[in-house]
Amino acid sequence: MFHWLERNPFFFAVGVFLVVAYAGVVTILPDFMESARPVTGTKPYTVLELAGRQIYIKDSCNACHSQLVRPFKSETDRYGKYSLSGEYAYDRPFLWGSRRAGPDLMRVGNYRTTDWHEYHMLDPKSVVPGSIMPAYKHMFQNVADIDTAYAEAYTVKTVFSVPYDQPDMPTLGTYDEAKKQVMAEASAIVADMKSPEIKEAFQRGEIKEIVALIAYLNRLK
Amino acid sequence: MDWMNDNVNALGLLGAAAIIILTVGVSWKYIQQMKTDKSTGELTKDNWDGIGEYKNPLPIGWALSFIGTIIWGLWYFLAGYPLNSYSQIGEYNEEVQSYNVKFESKFKNPDKATLMGMGEGVFLVQCAPCHGVTGDGMNGKAANLVKWGNEEAIVASIVHGVKGSNYPLGEMPAGLLDEKSAKAVAAFMAQEISALKKTKNPALVEEGRALWATCSACHGEDGKGMEGQAANLSEYGSAKFVANVLNMGKKGDIGNMPKFNDGRLTNVQKIAVGTYVSSLAK
Repeated sequence: MFHWLERNPFFFAVGVFLVVAYAGVVTILPDFMESARPVTGTKPYTVLELAGRQIYIKDSCNACHSQLVRPFKSETDRYGKYSLSGEYAYDRPFLWGSRRAGPDLMRVGNYRTTDWHEYHMLDPKSVVPGSIMPAYKHMFQNVADIDTAYAEAYTVKTVFSVPYDQPDMPTLGTYDEAKKQVMAEASAIVADMKSPEIKEAFQRGEIKEIVALIAYLNRLK
Repeated sequence: MDWMNDNVNALGLLGAAAIIILTVGVSWKYIQQMKTDKSTGELTKDNWDGIGEYKNPLPIGWALSFIGTIIWGLWYFLAGYPLNSYSQIGEYNEEVQSYNVKFESKFKNPDKATLMGMGEGVFLVQCAPCHGVTGDGMNGKAANLVKWGNEEAIVASIVHGVKGSNYPLGEMPAGLLDEKSAKAVAAFMAQEISALKKTKNPALVEEGRALWATCSACHGEDGKGMEGQAANLSEYGSAKFVANVLNMGKKGDIGNMPKFNDGRLTNVQKIAVGTYVSSLAK
């Protein structure tokens, strides 16, 4: 009875698409608008956190680490609450990742601390004996790119109306204001760190990449 | 021929033999049939580059299962799976609920061995990244739990002070007592107040009792922490004390310990970790 369909490749393709897309349509569409809204309490990243996020992307952390806790008991036991789509509202791009050579980092800020990250980035095996993660020593040398992070925040605020400078939301302000705030946030992180080189560099006004990255990781909750 | 005693191996071998016999038999039948068979029957009007198709009726068993699958498919699409208020989160909630019911009935009154096993498992996942696999704090990266829960540790706390778990009465300053008095207080606290209930220096207990006023100002006469104003020292050395630290987190001289109160650990698991950690203390 569908003989005519075999002679019409276009309608055949449309038919196949409808059948294949059906499951997605009924599971995604009904509350798409609702679930895509930011979850209450989700805030945009501060400039320092954005700088850390750019380092996370630059060094391809997402190649081995996911940021998505699936709703299975085995996952929530280890990583905390399962992820909701609204929690990624200010992630551009999202960093779900596609494989876990290392553990999930969606809520790493809940159970790892500044000084732990410092040991771990310098020499992963010093804290996790069986770790296969490489050391990221260059993060202790390179200086974080705050200017680009500010540019990103300014762009998403202007183009996508990300709610910076609104009540209960992170402030962005002018470049100088943002820079001041970055220094304040970084000083709290540096105070918890052990490395004297990082502290000296901060005294000179330099924020090393590791500081920005830790700010980002601590923020993941 | 040990491996033949395994049921799965024997079954696998039997299956392989059956597959070989059937393949050979069926192939033989068709090869013989091909030698004499001629194609007959009415062709359909479709013809694809010289390849035609016979008008054969569907085998009845195949046709019935085809129609059955379509009906099942309609039911599955429209009523069975996605539209019948199914949700992934709902399935997760059911999974967690049934697990919790099982967990609670299984570990209602866990014995010490069960708690130790459970505690070690949780410790290796949640605590070992900072405190080390053996709990030694990995050269000062975190608190050395092997040195915790005894009189020496109490002396060290009194002499060096404790930043603590953010209690209303705040940090305990360093140098409240000198080392000698601290030792006496530790002996008194270990025997009379804490869960250790014994001391290595029984001779110092009375001297310590006299000096206890320094501690009781915050921890209370009975050492119970005046209802949450300061740490409850009567639990010191026990699993409950550790469970309390897990709930409150700690800001120490070494670093921050995060709180473990986001639902990752159940109360039984916290006590299990406490039991395990207390056992590490020498």
